Amino acid sequence: MDAKKKILVIDDDKDLLFATKLILEKGGYEVFLAEDGKTGVEMWKSVSPDLAIIDMMMETWSEGFSVLEKIRSTETGRDRPLFVLSAVDLQGPYQSFQPPDNYPKVNRVLHKPVKGEDLLRFVGEELGIR
Amino acid sequence: MSARNWAFDRPMTDQKPVILIIDDEELMRSGCKQALERIGCTVLTAKDGAEGLRLAREHKPDAAFVDFKMPGMSGMELIEILSKEIPEMVLIMITGYASIGSAVESIHKGAFDFLPKPFSPDQLRTATRRVLEHRNMKIEANRLREEKAQMEKGFITFVSHEMRSPLVVIRQSIEALKMIGEDRFDDQVRELFEKCDRRIKGLEEMIEHWLDISRIGQGTFTPKQDSLSTAGVLERSIDELSPICRKNGIDLETTISENVLKLTGDEESLVRVFSNIIGNATKYTPPGGKISISARSEGRSVKIVISDTGKGIPEDKLPYIFDPFYRVKGKDEVHRGSGLGLTYCKKIVESHGGKIQASSKEGEGTTFELTFPGHIDSV
Repeated sequence: MDAKKKILVIDDDKDLLFATKLILEKGGYEVFLAEDGKTGVEMWKSVSPDLAIIDMMMETWSEGFSVLEKIRSTETGRDRPLFVLSAVDLQGPYQSFQPPDNYPKVNRVLHKPVKGEDLLRFVGEELGIR
Repeated sequence: MSARNWAFDRPMTDQKPVILIIDDEELMRSGCKQALERIGCTVLTAKDGAEGLRLAREHKPDAAFVDFKMPGMSGMELIEILSKEIPEMVLIMITGYASIGSAVESIHKGAFDFLPKPFSPDQLRTATRRVLEHRNMKIEANRLREEKAQMEKGFITFVSHEMRSPLVVIRQSIEALKMIGEDRFDDQVRELFEKCDRRIKGLEEMIEHWLDISRIGQGTFTPKQDSLSTAGVLERSIDELSPICRKNGIDLETTISENVLKLTGDEESLVRVFSNIIGNATKYTPPGGKISISARSEGRSVKIVISDTGKGIPEDKLPYIFDPFYRVKGKDEVHRGSGLGLTYCKKIVESHGGKIQASSKEGEGTTFELTFPGHIDSV
């Protein structure tokens, strides 16, 4: 039997982490949580997950970006799928976060709150399950 | 010399106020200089318009007294130039005997006041005090206004973020509940979740609208002044609402006249206005009904009409539909919106220089007419 695929979720909101974890576990994944950027990067290195979901609105906007950069510069993080989570942009309700071209590669931009089915479908697409 | 009066000091600094005297008579210049140095001013003098202009540009005095009758550049001309170039500088026209007409004209050209000759040193000092007080107050008022706007802007952003965050978490938690419940939950439980979710979405919408309305009210909302294709803007709203029209079996008919004038304004807000109105129409129009959207030019204006064949609004309620939180209560009120949608629409339309009107017949349908000034290409 195949081991469960591992997903790391990095977000400074504990409740959001909890809700996201439940959804992903329902989808059959093993979920790891980190409440800040530093822990997130450390966990990426120690756990070596198959996919990570990173909140771009932690503390400061640049924290999310820094986590993304650091993970992409690791051996394991170079090519594995990374999703970013954005809430509604502070500048205007309908201008959501879109990474410019010179950003570290992002496989998908998700907007909070994410529909359960959508999240599982997107993850499934990347990890080849379901 | 009297103790320094803080009212004279240049705002925000301890420096003496700087006054410029522009008069072709040597006696006037030295007399004024002496009189004002007595009350702690730094006085610069110029014997004609050209020199006055040069000194003004170089030193940016707080105020200038300009003689009406001078050889070369006239006082009036100088005042006109100075009030445009250095608007913060307060200008007083020194007028000759019996030239009230020109005195008044000088005020139109930018002078704050006029001082008729002959005047005593005391009169000059009084005028100067008044002028400096006025200038200080103006500067202070501007500073406060800017500070207030900044604070409000920051406040609005802060509040919006603070208010949105918990709602995002709640909605994500509901998503998780729906997922983990799945087969365990019966229909009633699922329905409760749906209701919660809808109400929260309504709340989120309300916050957005409220914030925009606040921004408009406080003048911190500055809509863009882009030239917009009327068809383009409408099409965006139509695209947004077509899926739900299809789903509900509502026919969506669009008639946009080919040479309809362009609109001027902020595309995002206008799209939201149209989406709001069309969205309302979808909520109140039963399957098999129709929503018609048309746009045409009427003289220099653009007229957009959105009408539906829905349940309509009772006549006695119609005048109030743009009021904040006014809801036409129906027995089968399934769709609880934010209550601010139409309020928001009206504010946005009006901030674009337009008008919005609604007409309706119960059981037959409702029509919204929006009129905007057409875009005028700048030459």
